[in-house]
Amino acid sequence: MIEISQLKKKFVVANPKKLSEQERLDPRLQGKFFHSVRHVSFSCQGGEVLGLLGPNGAGKTTTLRMLSTALKPDDGRVMINGVDVLAQPVLVRKKIGFLSGNTGLYGRLSGRENMAYFGQLHGMQKQAIVKRIDELCELLDLHSFLDRRCETYSTGMKQKTAIARSVIHSPEVVILDEPTTGLDIMASQTVMEFIRQMKSQGVGVIFSTHHLDEVAQLCDRVAVINEGRTVFDDTLAVFCALAPGSLSQAFLSTLAQGGQ
Amino acid sequence: MWLVFLKELKELIRDRKTLFFMIALPILVFPLIIGVVTYFSTKAVKEAETKVLNFAVVGEQYAPSLVNQMDATENFNRVMLTDDDDLETSIRSGVADFVLVIPDNYNDDVLQAGQIVLKLYLNDAGLNLVQRRLQNMVDEIATHNQRVAFQALGLGADQQKALLTPIVIDKVDVADKRENWGEKIGGFVPYLIFMLCLQGAMIPATDLGAGEKERGTLETLLISPIARYKLVMGKFFTIALAGVTSALVTVSSMAIWGVVLSQGMAIQLVAEFMGAISGLDFALIFLMLIPVVAIFASLLLCLSIYARSFKEAQGYMTPLVMFVVVPVIMAMLPGVELKGGWAWVPLTNVALAIKELIKGTMDYGELVAIFGSTAIIAGALISFCVYWFNKEKVLFR
Repeated sequence: MIEISQLKKKFVVANPKKLSEQERLDPRLQGKFFHSVRHVSFSCQGGEVLGLLGPNGAGKTTTLRMLSTALKPDDGRVMINGVDVLAQPVLVRKKIGFLSGNTGLYGRLSGRENMAYFGQLHGMQKQAIVKRIDELCELLDLHSFLDRRCETYSTGMKQKTAIARSVIHSPEVVILDEPTTGLDIMASQTVMEFIRQMKSQGVGVIFSTHHLDEVAQLCDRVAVINEGRTVFDDTLAVFCALAPGSLSQAFLSTLAQGGQ
Repeated sequence: MWLVFLKELKELIRDRKTLFFMIALPILVFPLIIGVVTYFSTKAVKEAETKVLNFAVVGEQYAPSLVNQMDATENFNRVMLTDDDDLETSIRSGVADFVLVIPDNYNDDVLQAGQIVLKLYLNDAGLNLVQRRLQNMVDEIATHNQRVAFQALGLGADQQKALLTPIVIDKVDVADKRENWGEKIGGFVPYLIFMLCLQGAMIPATDLGAGEKERGTLETLLISPIARYKLVMGKFFTIALAGVTSALVTVSSMAIWGVVLSQGMAIQLVAEFMGAISGLDFALIFLMLIPVVAIFASLLLCLSIYARSFKEAQGYMTPLVMFVVVPVIMAMLPGVELKGGWAWVPLTNVALAIKELIKGTMDYGELVAIFGSTAIIAGALISFCVYWFNKEKVLFR
């Protein structure tokens, strides 16, 4: 289970004078600090898929980075299956699979080598790595290109390989930052099918997206972040009920409510 | 740590650009440059030595013997100028390569004439060897005239010598060949090695820090369950290995090609010089390079990981060359020797020690100060690198 409560994170603005007029009006800018995440709380059980929504710059990526231990929260708490992210980051890293906005593949290595490298970093044995790569190849249809260097891959190939690499160690929780961005319909479908597979295996999945149709197809829960705060955190059914027939309207209504 | 190191090494070996700069460039381009420069400079000198020189003489009636000798010399071709011809214009227009103006006091009898000044007009821009070829001819006549004058004065051989050079300093050089060579090239060798180590480490350092950020692989790596110091050390060893490899390949390439390209005597000298340096000295030079490379690698990695992009990293690294040049130049300054405080100055002390090892005058006791100071600095920089890799402000700028 993933529990996030009252998460906060601020950054020093290197040169406030260089900010645009619009950026200066952002309520999160206070003096030389930009409070990227001010108060974010939500939770996701094992076997659940949580869709993290929010406009650009809302604080989604910063939140996911704190979940993944890449960034340390200034305040608040993140628990991944009972382990505190701040207290035991290395243990948390073993439990999570994280796909950042970037595919994060080494171009001069093949897809197989990329996956094997991260498997080794997670302390997996060679045999286990080979077996797991075969499983993931099957699941994500990677056979035709896995032994080519990643620098020759198309966007879809890269994304599928990156997803496979992020779950090479069979994590308990999967965090995906906009996994279908830039993908064609076929590749998007493969990714969505993969998320369903994870869910069916009891893995908790958090993924950020701007595609509301994906949310409707995959999610059990929805969390909406706006200007660094959680403005909605509930089931998909409750989210849909905000504006029956239009997920876009439901999304906009959460932003409007949050702004009030 | 070794897992990261091996993966970085695999990527490095697969990067054609890096391999080109680290291996192909030193092996092929340096000797090619040396070969091309040597070929063309030798060709140019040979052409200048054998070129037919068109010359004119003003006042030939005062020095018929000299002019006759010039006429008789191979590749000297006299042209006639009219009284209206301007000397400078004649040379500029290519009518004559040079014009020799003989004064009216010219006389083969030195005792009568005193010192004679011949005026040589020529276009001296570029390689021409005109003056040298003419000087050889004039020197022959001058020496003959001198001898005749001495005989006329009734001076014996010893008196002639004394008159020409009243006091002579006879240098007794107690330095052997190795020390001589070491003094001449010993200062340049560490400069070359340091620069090569630095240059060889720069490309992989840029790739392993800023390159990872730019490609988006760093974030993925940071959230893998590997201790941050292991990550840093894996990258650090890759950069250091690249630096040492680049330096070794380049120095070996230059040495091998230098011997191959050199001729006769030069081969003997190089062989003698190389033979005088013991295996222990070579090993010590290599050992001293380890902390030096560690300093470079950690500095480069710090700069690279701080930079947001390849371009920014290269911008930070360029001034580092100056930072390295200064202590090496210090080691070349007169009066700066491997003793006292200088033995504790990092980089300068290694440069001085390499020079001393080449000369064969190394005080091995100073190795404590050299290894001590460079290892402390290298260790501190590596620790800083690990600290730097834990800073969010650095990693997520």
